[in-house]
Amino acid sequence: MSGARTGKSLTKYKIVFLGEQGVGKTSLITRFMYDTFDDHYQATIGIDFLSKTMYLDDKTIRLQLWDTAGQERFRSLIPSYIRDSHVAIVVYDVTNKKSFEYIDKWVEDVKNERGEENVILCIVGNKNDLVDERQVSTEEGERKAQVLNAKIFIETSTKAGFNVKNLFKRIAKSLPEFQNSTNVPLDNENAQSKPDVIDISTNSAEQEQSGCQC
Amino acid sequence: MSRSASLLNSYGMHVRPMHSGHGVSLPKKSPSVPDLNRTYLGENKSNVSMMSEPKPPNSKPSLVESNSVEDATDLSFIELYEEAEEDENGSGSTTPMTDPIPAAVSYSSELEQTTNSILKDLSHFDRYGFKKQSTYITENEYNSWWSEYSQYCIRRKRKWQDLLEKSGLSTNNDSPDRFPPKSEKLKRYVRKGIPAEWRGNAWWYFARGQEKLNKNKGLYDKILNNLNSSQNGQLRDSDVIERDLNRTFPDNIHFQRKSDDTEEPLMIQSLRRVLIAFSIYNPKIGYCQSMNFLVGLLLLFLDEEKAFWMLVIITSRYLPGVHNVNLEGVNIDQGVLMLCIKEYLPEFWHRIMPKQQARNNEFLYKLPPLTLCTASWFMSCFVGVVPIETTLRIWDCLFYEESHVLFKISLSIIKLSEQELSRHNHHNTRSRPPNKDDDDIEIFQIIQTFPKKLLNPNDIFDRVIFKRRISFNNLNQEEIDRCRKYVTSQRLKHKNYTELVGDKAASSSNRDSKMASDLINDALSSEVYGFKKSLTGVHWNNSIKEKVRQIRRR
Repeated sequence: MSGARTGKSLTKYKIVFLGEQGVGKTSLITRFMYDTFDDHYQATIGIDFLSKTMYLDDKTIRLQLWDTAGQERFRSLIPSYIRDSHVAIVVYDVTNKKSFEYIDKWVEDVKNERGEENVILCIVGNKNDLVDERQVSTEEGERKAQVLNAKIFIETSTKAGFNVKNLFKRIAKSLPEFQNSTNVPLDNENAQSKPDVIDISTNSAEQEQSGCQC
Repeated sequence: MSRSASLLNSYGMHVRPMHSGHGVSLPKKSPSVPDLNRTYLGENKSNVSMMSEPKPPNSKPSLVESNSVEDATDLSFIELYEEAEEDENGSGSTTPMTDPIPAAVSYSSELEQTTNSILKDLSHFDRYGFKKQSTYITENEYNSWWSEYSQYCIRRKRKWQDLLEKSGLSTNNDSPDRFPPKSEKLKRYVRKGIPAEWRGNAWWYFARGQEKLNKNKGLYDKILNNLNSSQNGQLRDSDVIERDLNRTFPDNIHFQRKSDDTEEPLMIQSLRRVLIAFSIYNPKIGYCQSMNFLVGLLLLFLDEEKAFWMLVIITSRYLPGVHNVNLEGVNIDQGVLMLCIKEYLPEFWHRIMPKQQARNNEFLYKLPPLTLCTASWFMSCFVGVVPIETTLRIWDCLFYEESHVLFKISLSIIKLSEQELSRHNHHNTRSRPPNKDDDDIEIFQIIQTFPKKLLNPNDIFDRVIFKRRISFNNLNQEEIDRCRKYVTSQRLKHKNYTELVGDKAASSSNRDSKMASDLINDALSSEVYGFKKSLTGVHWNNSIKEKVRQIRRR
């Protein structure tokens, strides 16, 4: 698998966000893109597209993020977007058991379109700040991720800004572009001078705790 | 804060009155229709009175509450703009308004102070309670546009008042419930915008809502009553509805929970009831995401029961099948839109459609990626796609002219984005041969983002809809209905063919399946859709040419 490289332009990677309605797909993207959070985002209808340049280890890549509608009936419209994705992020809400059970269906869609080998599958349990309302334990999540053969499992809180950068850093690390490189922090100034660029190699204030490395 | 202060200085007279009193005016019991009337012409005095005495519950939309003092002020406004006749295309008069406020401000300074602080907060919201600022529009941009557009609204309202008067209809205390019979003139008036505080009534009237309601008197309440006594909570769709309630208009104050409120906003309660009732009324649709936006907007202009019936009308008459569980109506409408683009925007068409797919009708079954962006335009009737005032102007036309408006507006948006699209295209061809994949993504992004900046509705109306020489303005409802029928039957045939051939092809070789799919495409492409209204030479020739080409191929 490799990103689409054309001429001198950046290597581009297509990432599709899947998962039930209201689990926090849009919120995850917004936290990553703008480092902000609102209690409520407008429901996504159809597909939203965003793109972001990312720096890591002296390399620059372009991420194309496809945010999808979560309601079941929209599933029939989405496959064409999964078809050539490099990364599929399947999100569930740790306070909602049903959303956890549904990830099987989304993963099945991904495997139908991409096969087992051609896609980096990530399972993300969001809203882990809501400790009292938790319905899915971290262990359950880890186990499922293993069964589904996901490359990355992580719990996040888009509200607290927890583990979101970490998620994208781990995704980037799994891309072929970064397979043989070590993490050399990038010149900070450079990264900050470009507004549309996220430098995920610097250690931010965000407290990071990695989930299991399955 | 310094920004809003300077706003008051430079635009004070225009801006301040327009966004008064939202949220505060919300009655404590349903219906939760916010009071647009107060805020429309900006009578500051009514802000004050509104805050001191909450409006009593009222079974009609609260638009009626105009008082005589206001009327006097209205006139002083209007006289200034009387000269602006039919020609609304220009920027219009920019004569500063005289301040209509002093007439009624006779309250204690204490009250004034609280009023002022509330007004300051409210200055970030428009007259419907939506936040002025968005990702694509700054509050300053909003305010400077609004200072002109609000005057346009005043001029248009005066026109409507004249029209009603000439037609012998009453404005019914600024809440007319009858409108003149359909005519070219009325259509033009509707296209130029229905006065905001008449909108609910006008939509209801033009969509023939009362007819529908009369046939089903009491049904809405009955559904809700049955619900209370039985299965609430275990309904199939209640969970999915619940998850979207607070994700409908999080930026609108009527849908926001105030920090000191323990009870949820009335709007949210109404929204829940309408959506639940609808899911019971029409189980074939149940609840489909995007309906929350339709109902949410309706509730800002109509009471609950009417909003319910309008949703019934929208999902059956204007967007048949679009919200059904299989979303087939979405696919059909996107197929129709693609045919329209092919016919009316050929340049754009060639960019989104690879040649081999364009030749036959394959795009009707394998819709191009762009359609997932445009699908949401239809599902939510442009709510959230274009800024709110533009959405409302589209809705005015939708209820008067029916669904072909949605196709026309879609074509208009694409046409208006041409400049941006071609800028990218040139850039692309100069540096290297365009890469189809990159180009697709670029187009998707432009088409997705461009409409969000269409703050001024007249950008669409004056630059496209009112231009006679733009060929797709010939599109009418009959054409779209015919087109929908065609796409429906083509998609159905395709499905039947593939089911039939597909079973055999699956068990045989690749070559066979390739042949099978060619066979299907050939069989289905024999029927080419020809646009009736475009018999103006060129288009007619195109469709004949296509037919001849096919006969030859065979």
